Amino acid sequence: MKYAGLVLANLGRNKLRSLFTAGAIALAVLLVCLLMTMPAGLDRLISDLGSNTRISVHNKAGLVYSMPQSFTRKVRQLDGVLAAVSMTWFGGAYEEEGRVTFPNFAVEAEHVGSVYPDYVFTPGAVDEFVRHRDGAIVGRKIMRQYGWKVGDRITLRSTVWPANLDVRIVGEIADDNAPMLWINRTYLDETLKAAGRGGLGIAGIIWVRVDRPERVGALMSEIDEMSRNSESPTASETEKSFISNFFGSLKGFVTIILIVTALVSLCIVFIAANTASMAVRERSGEIAVMKAMGFGRRAIFGTLLAEATLLSTFAGALGVAGAIALTRALKTVATLGPTLGPLGNFTVTNDVVTAGLALSLFVGLLSGLVPALGAARKPVVDALREVF
Amino acid sequence: MAPLRGVRYPRCMPLADPLPGPPPSAPEEATLIDIRHVSRHYRRGVDEVHALDDVSLRIAPGRFVAFMGPSGSGKSTLMNLVSGLDRPSEGEVVVAGQSLGDLDEDELAAWRARHVGLIFQFFNLIPVLDARDNVALPLLLTDLGKAERHRRAETALRVVGLDHRLDHRPNTLSGGEQQRVAIARAIVTDPDLIVADEPTGDLDAKNAEATLGLLRELTDAFGKTIVMVTHDPRALRFVDEVFHLDKGLLLEGSDAERASEAIRLAAGGHASAGARP
Ligand SMILES: Nc1ncnc2c1ncn2[C@@H]1O[C@H](COP(=O)(O)OP(=O)(O)OP(=O)(O)O)[C@@H](O)[C@H]1O
Ligand SMILES: [Mg+2]
Repeated sequence: MKYAGLVLANLGRNKLRSLFTAGAIALAVLLVCLLMTMPAGLDRLISDLGSNTRISVHNKAGLVYSMPQSFTRKVRQLDGVLAAVSMTWFGGAYEEEGRVTFPNFAVEAEHVGSVYPDYVFTPGAVDEFVRHRDGAIVGRKIMRQYGWKVGDRITLRSTVWPANLDVRIVGEIADDNAPMLWINRTYLDETLKAAGRGGLGIAGIIWVRVDRPERVGALMSEIDEMSRNSESPTASETEKSFISNFFGSLKGFVTIILIVTALVSLCIVFIAANTASMAVRERSGEIAVMKAMGFGRRAIFGTLLAEATLLSTFAGALGVAGAIALTRALKTVATLGPTLGPLGNFTVTNDVVTAGLALSLFVGLLSGLVPALGAARKPVVDALREVF
Repeated sequence: MAPLRGVRYPRCMPLADPLPGPPPSAPEEATLIDIRHVSRHYRRGVDEVHALDDVSLRIAPGRFVAFMGPSGSGKSTLMNLVSGLDRPSEGEVVVAGQSLGDLDEDELAAWRARHVGLIFQFFNLIPVLDARDNVALPLLLTDLGKAERHRRAETALRVVGLDHRLDHRPNTLSGGEQQRVAIARAIVTDPDLIVADEPTGDLDAKNAEATLGLLRELTDAFGKTIVMVTHDPRALRFVDEVFHLDKGLLLEGSDAERASEAIRLAAGGHASAGARP
């Protein structure tokens, strides 16, 4: 503690350099903290994407196989199921495009609203959809892509069914996470019947909303159990795992984040080590004189190491504070509009704070170690001779 | 210059261990520094440099002595051995009854802190500390509290006549003033021995004389033993004794007298007063 004044005075000796180094360390620690919020933030993003109480039921054999539509009604009867809607791949190609460029499904119009209470529809969209059998609800991304407006009529030529459907867009899903188009199941069913087919008896996926999250597990096994001995046994998944299958590459992304974090950390060690060794070299005369006066190896080593550590820890604390401030600001921005929502998912947790501070302490110790050791171990006469 | 008289310098600093050795009643025989057959060799590639060759000498306490000689003659080497900064290749250095060879690196550092005050040619003050904190620096090695450290630093600065510059940083002081701060730093622990390597080497004539006068007064008023390495012929007027070195050898008898005479002649009027007895 006696040496505190000396350590502080030495840090203030080259204010600009201390400031630059502190700035570099602070910025790097800020970056590392932000990077460290990402894996957790992405996780939260996925769980937001999939409501915790929604499960998907599909044929155990795979997503391309179907289930009888009657199974949807059975599921709907189960205790704890608030709503269920079947979605069946229509495979419609827009006008003359000839191939499917966006997912489109036939859904039970009267049930989508209650399965997706968390989706933001344009006002009256769901009611219009129920009322008009040729209605369609379209995700905003597709609307933009094709320049459609609510009220537009479009033709979808199915690549799966012998049916070309003229539909009228009655509403939009104002959510970029829902890049699909829904048509009315009744419309397709009646069209097929009119064409002399037996009607649409199947369901592709059944989306089920459960009343409470803790019931999800039990209901999934109940549903799968119910279909086990039928011709099409099912497999249920929570929406979260269903979606993260799509985001399968996310794991690799997290690995990249971790590698970048490690590289940034290494980078600040070099920056700080450079400063520490410059500080020692610049002061070799004084250090020699202090050693001559009788300051022992431990005192020299300790004060130099303390100097490097103090600088980097102080800078690291600033960086952590910056990361907290930045994520707070992002959270505020996130409330401004639904598209900005995902920005609010990144939080500097206590773990991240601890890691950021530990990193800066470690950087200080590591960077100060070599120069401090060198200065402490150099024999005093050699040190003096270099100076005089 | 230095308002030494009238200032009571504290003789009771905790660092000042009473010196073992002969009682002060017999100062003629007393020996503070005993250099016994000391050699110092350096390896430089394949050849060996004999910086010092079998040098023996004694210095009594309370004396102001100078090591003189041409460049490369081994003056600094000898001074480093006396002050425990370096170890001899052969021979023994005994200061105040302590054989320095018996101390390990850390013990030697602690010994220097307690017994030696150092003054260098290029002052080597710490630029970010003011005069008071620079002087108080060696006291960090004691248990003294901050207030007491400051009080003693102020006393030492008063001894060198700089108590009106307490808060000045080195870069706001003249060369002479900086050297006086360095001298205050060397005496603040009240050491038995002060060693100075070319203390006037970087000073103009006026400040050089003032510095030499100040060192002289430290022996006269406080009984400090001072060993000074110098090229400065003016020093002859201030010191009690001169040891002449040449090519690592200590000159004795007529050789030493001739060396002193040569310096006096070279200095012209400067050294007219001659060395003290
Ligand atoms: N570490 C070392 N390695 C090799 N040679 C050395 C070393 N230190 C001193 N010497 C040599 O020892 C001799 C004496 O050096 P010293 O520094 O004692 O001379 P000096 O009398 O103080 O000279 P000056 O008046 O120039 O300061 C010189 O020849 C010098 O080159
Ligand atoms: Mg020298």
